Amino acid sequence: MHFAYKTRSRFAGALVALSVASAGGACGGALTKSDLFSSEWSADRGEGVASVRQRLAGTRAAPGVDVAVGVAVNGERIVGVLLDSGARWSFAHPLDARPVIAGQVVVGSGGGEIFCLDGRTGNKLWTRPTGGLPLIGAGDDGHFTVITLGRSGGARGSTLLAIERGGDVKRQIETDKDVGVPAVVAGLAFIPWSRQYVSVFDIIAGDELARILLREQVSRAWTQGGDVYFGENSVYRFDERIKDATLERASRIRLPARELPGSPVLLPPIEERPKLVSDARDRVRVYVRPSTNAVNGANATSATPQEGWLVVANSRFYASYFRIIMGFDSSRGGLSWVYTHPLDVIGAAAAEDGLLVCDEKGKVTFLSARQGDPLGDRDLGEPVKSCAVQVDALAVRGGRPPQPVSLAEELAEALRVPDAELATGKRLLVREIATLDDEVATKALVDVMGDPSLSPFVADDVRTALAARRKGARYMLAALERHYDFLKNILKPPPVGPIAQSFAAMNDPSAAPLLAGHLLDPVTPEQDVQEAARALTTLAGPAEVPALKQFFVLNYASASTAPMKSAVVSIGQVLLKHGGKDGRAAVDRAVASKMTGEDLRGKLRELYEAAGVAPPPR
Amino acid sequence: MRHVPNVATGCRARIPRVIPEWVSTRNRSNWLRAAAAVVAVSVASAASGADPASSTPKLPTAPVVRKPLPAGTAEKLKSGDPERIAAALDDVRLAGKGAARLTGEITGLLDRGLTASLAEAALAALAEVEAPVSTPSIVSYLSHRDAKVRTAAAKALARTKGTAAVVALRRALSDSEPGVRGAAASGLGALRAREAVGDLAVALDHRVVEAAEPIGQLCNADECNDFLGRLGRLPFDLMESGLEPILFRPNAEVSEDTKANVIGRVRELKTNEAHKFLQEIQKRWPAGASPRLKTLVDQAVTATNRASGS
Repeated sequence: MHFAYKTRSRFAGALVALSVASAGGACGGALTKSDLFSSEWSADRGEGVASVRQRLAGTRAAPGVDVAVGVAVNGERIVGVLLDSGARWSFAHPLDARPVIAGQVVVGSGGGEIFCLDGRTGNKLWTRPTGGLPLIGAGDDGHFTVITLGRSGGARGSTLLAIERGGDVKRQIETDKDVGVPAVVAGLAFIPWSRQYVSVFDIIAGDELARILLREQVSRAWTQGGDVYFGENSVYRFDERIKDATLERASRIRLPARELPGSPVLLPPIEERPKLVSDARDRVRVYVRPSTNAVNGANATSATPQEGWLVVANSRFYASYFRIIMGFDSSRGGLSWVYTHPLDVIGAAAAEDGLLVCDEKGKVTFLSARQGDPLGDRDLGEPVKSCAVQVDALAVRGGRPPQPVSLAEELAEALRVPDAELATGKRLLVREIATLDDEVATKALVDVMGDPSLSPFVADDVRTALAARRKGARYMLAALERHYDFLKNILKPPPVGPIAQSFAAMNDPSAAPLLAGHLLDPVTPEQDVQEAARALTTLAGPAEVPALKQFFVLNYASASTAPMKSAVVSIGQVLLKHGGKDGRAAVDRAVASKMTGEDLRGKLRELYEAAGVAPPPR
Repeated sequence: MRHVPNVATGCRARIPRVIPEWVSTRNRSNWLRAAAAVVAVSVASAASGADPASSTPKLPTAPVVRKPLPAGTAEKLKSGDPERIAAALDDVRLAGKGAARLTGEITGLLDRGLTASLAEAALAALAEVEAPVSTPSIVSYLSHRDAKVRTAAAKALARTKGTAAVVALRRALSDSEPGVRGAAASGLGALRAREAVGDLAVALDHRVVEAAEPIGQLCNADECNDFLGRLGRLPFDLMESGLEPILFRPNAEVSEDTKANVIGRVRELKTNEAHKFLQEIQKRWPAGASPRLKTLVDQAVTATNRASGS
C-alpha cells in the first residue's frame, strides 16, 4: 500500500465582481460584541456571496492534514497517526471533550483551557483559558484557528475565538445564538448559526461579508479538497450556486432515502456534543465524500452531472453499524458491499477512494469504495476511547488485489458475526440478502438460522426470507438432512417450516422425505411442523406414507394446540390421498376414537368430503 | 435416586426418591412396600456370601407387587374408552409377565394411537410384561413429542430387549431431554449393550450422568482405561458410579491390572471425595478377593487421607 496526494485539477469558477454588502455593526479589535448574528439582515440577492467568491477567486482552502487522532484509555492523552506516513505522535493533557481536527491542527479542551496542536507533529501551538466553556468545534486555514465554545450548563449562546498561530486572540465574538462548527479560508470564517444560516465573516476586518439562508438544518462547515462545505442532513458546497440556496438550487448532496440500521445521521447536530468516550452514536453513522465531477460535460448525457458539478465521490456513501460497514450506491441507495470489521468502528471519514475506519484498538483501516476491500491500515499504537479521522488530499492505492466476493457472501459473513448487539443491523442485511437472486443468498440464510445466538427478531426475518427463496434448493435440502443431535452438539433444528414453504411454492417434491422425517423429530417446533405438514399435502407421495402414518398415530389423540391439530389434519389429507387402505383406516380410527378432540374430529371429517370418499359412520 | 450401600457386596441397591408418576394412587403404598422388600432381598443376598463379582443385583427400577390379571382386562383394552383402558393397563402392569398374552392388544393400542397419558401407561405396562415382541411398537414412541412418553418408551425398551431396542436407545442418547438420555443410558447398561460403550462415553462427556455406571459395567480393558482418562477432567461425582463396577467385576471381564489402574488413578486425585470413595471400597472389599488389590486400596486410603487432610 502507498499513500499519495492527488493532483487537483479543478479551478474555482469565474466570479462576477459585485459590491460587498457590509454586515452592519461588526466592529474591529480583539473583542467583537456585535449584531453579527442579528436577524436584521436583509436579502442582498446574492451580492454578498458574489463578493466573497470574488475575494476568494483563485484561492483554495488550505489542505488539511490527513490524520487520525484518538483519546488514550487514561483519558489524559491524545494520540495521532499520520495517514500518509504512518508516523505517530502523542500529547499529554487533561481532556474534557473529544479533540477536533480542523485543517492542519488538532484542538483539544481540558483543564480549563483549550489547546491547539500541529496535526502533523502533535506539537503544542498555543493554549487559551476558557473558563470551562465547552468546545463545540473549530476551523483553520493555516493562519487563523476559529473556535466555537458553547455555554456551560447547556445554556444558549456561544463564544467565537479567532486565534492566530502564535496564540494571540485576533477576535472574540459573544452571541446569544447557537453557533456551529466553523470553517476558515483565507481569513474568512464560514460560521453556521441558528441551524439555518451560514455567515461569512472577515476575521481581520470584523465584517460579516455575506449571509446564506438554507432551507435545511445546517450546523457544520468544513473545508475539503480546497472547497468549503456545510450542512447537517445534506452537504452544500460554497460555489456560484449557493446564492440560490433559498430556491433550493444550491449545489447539494442529499442521500437517497433508504432504511439504515439504527437511524444514523450524516452529521450529528451540535447539541449532541461528542463525548470523550465514544458511544453508540459514533458506531452508527453515515459518511459521504463530496467531490467535484471531472467528466467532460460535452460528452455527458443529460442525466450525467456536468464537469465541476458537486457529486458523491465514487458514487458511494457509507454506513457503519458497530462492526458492520456498508457501501451504498449514492444514486439509488442500493447496497453494494458489506464489510465486517473485527471490532466496533468508533470513527471514520470518507476519502475520494473509500472509507477510513478507526476502531477501539486504535487501528485505522482503509476500505476501497468499489468493493469495501481492506487495502491497508495505520495504527494509533494503542487502544483508544474515541477516535476522529480527517482525510483531505490523501489517496490510497495498491494493497492486495481485491478477491471477487459476492455481495451474498459478504452479507453472509456479516450475518455470521455472533453479536446480539448487531440484531438491528442484521435485520437490514437479511432484507437485503432476500432481494438477491443468488443461490449463495439461500445458503447464507440457511446458515444464519443455525447460529445459536441469533436474535428472535432476526430469526423471524430470516424465516420470511427463506420461505420466499426460489433458488438454492440444494442448500435447503442439505439443511433438512440435519437433525437435532445432543451428542453431536447439533442443538438447533433447521428452519423446517420456511424451507417447506419454499419447496411447496416451487412444487419440488425432493424435500418430501426429509420433511416427513422432521415431522417425527420431537425438536421440530410446532409452527414448523404445521408448515411442513401443509407443504406435504402437495409434495408427499406414497413413499412418505409410513412416516406420515406414524406421525398421525402419535399425534391425533394428543394434539392440543392449533398448529399440531392443523398438522394432523394436513397429514390426514395425505393419508386419504396416498395412504391406501391402511392410511384410510388410520384416519377412520382417529375420526371414530373417543380420544380425538371434537374440533379435530370435525376437521378430519371434512377431509372425506374434499377427497370425495364416504366418511366412517358416526 | 438414592443409593443404599450394600456392605457385603460392595454394590448399591437403588430406591427411587419419588414414586413414578405412572404408579396409580391405589398402588402407591404397595409400590413403596415392594421397593423396601427388594432392597431387603438385595442386602440379604449379599450377606449370604455370594461372589461379589457376579452378584450385581438386577433390580427393577419400579418394583411392583405382582397380582393376577383380573378377568375382563382384554375387553377393557378393546373398549375404546380411555378410562377403562387406563384401568386395564394398570392391571397389566401389576400382573407383569402374567399378562403376556395381552401384549398384542397393548401394542395394537400403541400402533393405533393413544393420548399421551395412556401411551405412557401402555409403555409402563409393556415394560412389566417384558415381551420382546413389543419392542417395534415401543420404538416408534421415542419420536413422541411428549418427553414423558419418550422417557417411558426408553425405560420400556430396557425391559423388552432386542437388537432394535439397543439401536433405538443408542439414538435416544441424543434426545433433547435429559430424562430420555438418562433412561437410554441406563437402558443400554441393563441390556448389556457392549457395542454402545463408545456412545455412552460421548454421552458422559456431555454430562449424561447415567452413562458412567453402564460404562463401568460393560467396558473392556481399553474402554475402561479410556474412561479412566476422564478422571480429573470430569467431576468425580460424575465418574464415581462407573469406577465402582469396574472394581467389582470378575477378573475374567476386567483384569487386576486395570483395577489396579483405577485405584492408582483415584489415589492420584488426592481429594477428599477420592478418599471417601476409596474408604467405601475398602469397607466393602470382599474377604478373600485379590490381596494385591486389597493392599493397593489400603495404601490408597492412607495416602489420600494424608493428602486430602481428612
